[in-house]
Amino acid sequence: MKFTRDWLQNYVDLGELTTEQLADDLTMVGLEVDSVTDLYENLSELKTGRVLTVETHPNADTLTLCQVSLGRQTLQIVCGAPNVREGLGVVVALPGTTLPGDFKIKKSKVRGIESQGMLCSERELGLSEDHQGIMELPAEIEPGLLFIEATGLKDTQIEVDLTPNRPDCASVIGVARETAGILRKKIKVPYKNTQLASTSSSFAVEVENPELCPRYAARLIKNVSIGPSPWWLRKRLLSVGLRPINNVVDITNFVMLEYGQPLHAFDFDTLTDRKIVVRTPRPAEKTFTTLDNVERSLDEDILLICDGKEPVAIGGVMGGLYSEVTEKTVNVLLESACFNDVSIRKTARKLNLSTDASYRFERGVDPEGTIDAMERAVTLMGEIAGGTAEEGGIDVKVAHQPVVLPLRSSKSAALLGVDLSADKLAELLNSIEIPSSKEDDNTLRVQIPSFRVDLEREADLIEEIARLYGYNNIPITLPGVDLSFPEQDEERLKRNQASKIMTEAGFSEAINYSFVSSAYDDALQLDGSDARRSHVRLLNPLTEEQDVMRTSLLPGLLENVRRNLNYQQTSCYLYEIGKIFLPAGDLPLPEEPLRIAGVMTGNRNGPHPPLYFKAEETDISDARGAVETLLSEMRLNGHDANQQIQFSSAAEDTTEPFCEEGFGINLVTGNGVIGTLGKLKNDILLNLGIKRDVYYFDLDFSTLASIEPVAKTFSALPVYPSVKRDIALLVPTSISAGNLVQTVLGSGEKLVEHCELFDVYQGDKIEAGRKSVALSITYRSATRTLTEKNVEKAHSKVVKRLTDTYGGSLREE
Amino acid sequence: MEQELEKLRSEAAAELVQIQSSGQLEDFRIKYLGRNGQLSGLMKLLGQAAKEDRPRLGKLANSVRGDLEKIFTEKSAALARQHDDAEKPDLSLPGRRRVKGSLHPVSQCMEEICEIFASMGFSIAEGPDIELDHYNFEALNIPEHHPARDMHDTFYIGDSVLLRTHTSPMQARIMEQQKPPIRVIAPGKVYRCDSDITHTPMFQQVEGFLVDRNISFADLKGVLTVSLQKIFEKDLAIRFRPSFFPFTEPSAEVDIACVICGGDGCRVCKKTGWIEILGAGMIDPEVFKMVDYDPEVFSGFAFGLGVERIAMLKYGIDDIRLYYENDLRFLSQF
Repeated sequence: MKFTRDWLQNYVDLGELTTEQLADDLTMVGLEVDSVTDLYENLSELKTGRVLTVETHPNADTLTLCQVSLGRQTLQIVCGAPNVREGLGVVVALPGTTLPGDFKIKKSKVRGIESQGMLCSERELGLSEDHQGIMELPAEIEPGLLFIEATGLKDTQIEVDLTPNRPDCASVIGVARETAGILRKKIKVPYKNTQLASTSSSFAVEVENPELCPRYAARLIKNVSIGPSPWWLRKRLLSVGLRPINNVVDITNFVMLEYGQPLHAFDFDTLTDRKIVVRTPRPAEKTFTTLDNVERSLDEDILLICDGKEPVAIGGVMGGLYSEVTEKTVNVLLESACFNDVSIRKTARKLNLSTDASYRFERGVDPEGTIDAMERAVTLMGEIAGGTAEEGGIDVKVAHQPVVLPLRSSKSAALLGVDLSADKLAELLNSIEIPSSKEDDNTLRVQIPSFRVDLEREADLIEEIARLYGYNNIPITLPGVDLSFPEQDEERLKRNQASKIMTEAGFSEAINYSFVSSAYDDALQLDGSDARRSHVRLLNPLTEEQDVMRTSLLPGLLENVRRNLNYQQTSCYLYEIGKIFLPAGDLPLPEEPLRIAGVMTGNRNGPHPPLYFKAEETDISDARGAVETLLSEMRLNGHDANQQIQFSSAAEDTTEPFCEEGFGINLVTGNGVIGTLGKLKNDILLNLGIKRDVYYFDLDFSTLASIEPVAKTFSALPVYPSVKRDIALLVPTSISAGNLVQTVLGSGEKLVEHCELFDVYQGDKIEAGRKSVALSITYRSATRTLTEKNVEKAHSKVVKRLTDTYGGSLREE
Repeated sequence: MEQELEKLRSEAAAELVQIQSSGQLEDFRIKYLGRNGQLSGLMKLLGQAAKEDRPRLGKLANSVRGDLEKIFTEKSAALARQHDDAEKPDLSLPGRRRVKGSLHPVSQCMEEICEIFASMGFSIAEGPDIELDHYNFEALNIPEHHPARDMHDTFYIGDSVLLRTHTSPMQARIMEQQKPPIRVIAPGKVYRCDSDITHTPMFQQVEGFLVDRNISFADLKGVLTVSLQKIFEKDLAIRFRPSFFPFTEPSAEVDIACVICGGDGCRVCKKTGWIEILGAGMIDPEVFKMVDYDPEVFSGFAFGLGVERIAMLKYGIDDIRLYYENDLRFLSQF
């Protein structure tokens, strides 16, 4: 909602109040001021002038040579406008002035004659599209003054960001009422509580759907002369960014801005049967052309304003092309009506058409303000357009039931935390013209004015009290509540724990949008039957790139990798913990399980120059290590066999379609696969614009979070020393080295405490098809110090077990 | 003999203390412990001692050798730890550090906020991102054709299913399940179909609400004032001004004194000196009625704050789109 300080001043005396203070005060009563703009600053250098003489330019028939008075000085200006004439008040741009559109005025010669400035048209000033001639100023304006001051254009525009509950302030009078409340003054308005003088018989109004149109009033104004509006009216419209059209239309717009009551003017002579019928479309009425020359589809719920034959307007939204006021209009039928808010809103949405009228009707227009606004417009049409209004009119209405609400001072005190007497409450309400009477010391009976359609309950009144008293005057206290232990979402705690583990492990957290492009399904080579292809789809995505809810975190993370590599990162380790969205059959809402996924590429030792750490390419072991770290830090390792999470790399296991063959590991529990890790296929990466190897892991975090962590239990420190034995075994390359460790640990030899791999070698020094696997085995007894003999005995059993199992031979050290 | 051994022990010990270099140490070894050293010399004389004294003296000589070898070894190790000048470390070199990642700035900010409210006894609960129209709108007193729906650019999944436009549906979900007193915050992702320099189509909010007997607007002011001052780690000026949300009455927007210019007026605060930071209000009686709370008995407040915005102000981030590009040059700054 835009208005200007000068306009507001018409209804309430602002006195010495600065515009800055006014803006602040309005904001603090809930009319948030979005901007305060000094208008026409770009025209501030222009001067008013008066044409003294006009001669034909000696070298050009179409140009004139004018002597223009600027008060003390007189300038010679060449002008090409047809309307330039002696005595005309004009707008003068002197050399050095810049006009809108960065148009600089210079002293120049036009066809050999010096021109000391320029006379401006309205288009050149940015005031209208009129470029037929130069702008004509009213005769009473003296020459030599600053243009914007002399014409009253200089003003300050204030824009308020209205909340949907305050349609009463979608009018300058509404804002004035709030301002008067702040200043504890009274407003003055042109018309208040006006009644129609009599009922007209020169036309008829029928309302078929009173529930959609509780009030429809109209008056006939005869013999108007359509033309441009006077300067004061055009100025008002321009000051809030509205384009002046003609006097009749300008008046309806002006009164709408003033009263908040949308009005519509019909060319009366286009109305068949001199009749208005408010109704929904007949079956044959499928389309209607609005005055913006767009053909609109109609449906049965759209309320129409019709004449005796056909629609002439879409009620409360926009008039029709064929009944609008034109230059030829002589008789005007002026409509002032009140429409059902929900109905207008539905219509505006269906037609995708929001107008100043629909904006107000959707939110609620004062049902008792109909005649005041109409009266104001009718008077102006008489004054400005020379029309003669019929004395009476027609007003079809459903009686408005006044609303009376109780307001308890006790309830107000309890809800606001500040104790105000009933008298104080009455005084506050009265400041914005809400009358009340006292029922008892605690209770007011508040008579809700018809313009406050938002006040329906006691709570609404308490809000009025709060804002009128001032939110900042309400004390600051802390609630007196009972102590209680706050419950925490378990999964959330686990997520935070996992985040901490991953950042410690060198991964940075990524957060990606929950929607992705469905094109990733193909990019990741998902099978036709892959469950991840069934997405929750957005009906109205912003772009095709975000058309479905994600079923995997990998698309987002891969996009992050691409970006980071493009920006020359030499190492990119990212993880994300987030929801994926899986359609849940007939249930209305999808499942939203959490996953944790990571991507890893480039130098495993980070992006920094390798002062201490060599630049080493990430490999599959980094991916596995990351997952191992996560599981062990979350204490998910060391469960019983059926609960234990196993790393399964058997070839027959299904690996992900995007994972390179032989580079995939599944994470398996008794209940199935809970995640995978591996290396992404090169062709997939290349298609995504990634030219480096990328490893990933992708786990079902909801499941991980549901597994009970291994309890922290103490085991006594060993009393007796351990003995280490290293062996290297030559085995066929097809044997998984990890299995050797399992064999040692599972050998049943009691003295084996621990076994780890410390080298896997394949190369020149070893025969083809074989590799050397080096193991370090720790032996210990809980009851004695082991002798060389004890160890030897155990160790040889273990070695035998290994060679028997894998057919390998001990490698000579 | 006995005295000579003891003398050797004390002399050698005294001499060893003075030794500064490995060369001196080698001289010491030859002098005392070498094959022709003083100890060997004395040992050779052992045969000349009286027969009954020999075991005693032998034991003593061995003890002296043991002591000398021990202090020699210790000294040798100590010298080995001292490097020559050339071997001394260049102390200007940076320390050796393992690679660490970092938490996303929005997560960091979210956690700080959650911790502040948790420390005031608020529980933390999360809800679905894909929500029913009922919880996102209807239960919050925003019926189908309410103009307030314009304030929410909603992504739809189906007729009555959508991406939640705010975390407020958690008010309805939790109040439906629990009876007062309730003190909960609900952090999470929310969605609006709007994308430009100041809007991303997904962002994160923290919803908070407290319902009990005798909860007032003054209490709302108190809780939010304390929390905002904790979040921004300073005594910020805070102002509450009237606004409108269909699910609160009275409703408020809360502004903080601009953290960029300190309230003098700058580009960030649009020269007002204030920055809008959150929306709040007393829970509307209609919302209570829908979950069968008696508004004559219970009252409460609710608030919702945008985490990205707070992080922007805390860290001076000037473009909201940076959050979801996951550029390591950005992430590693936090």
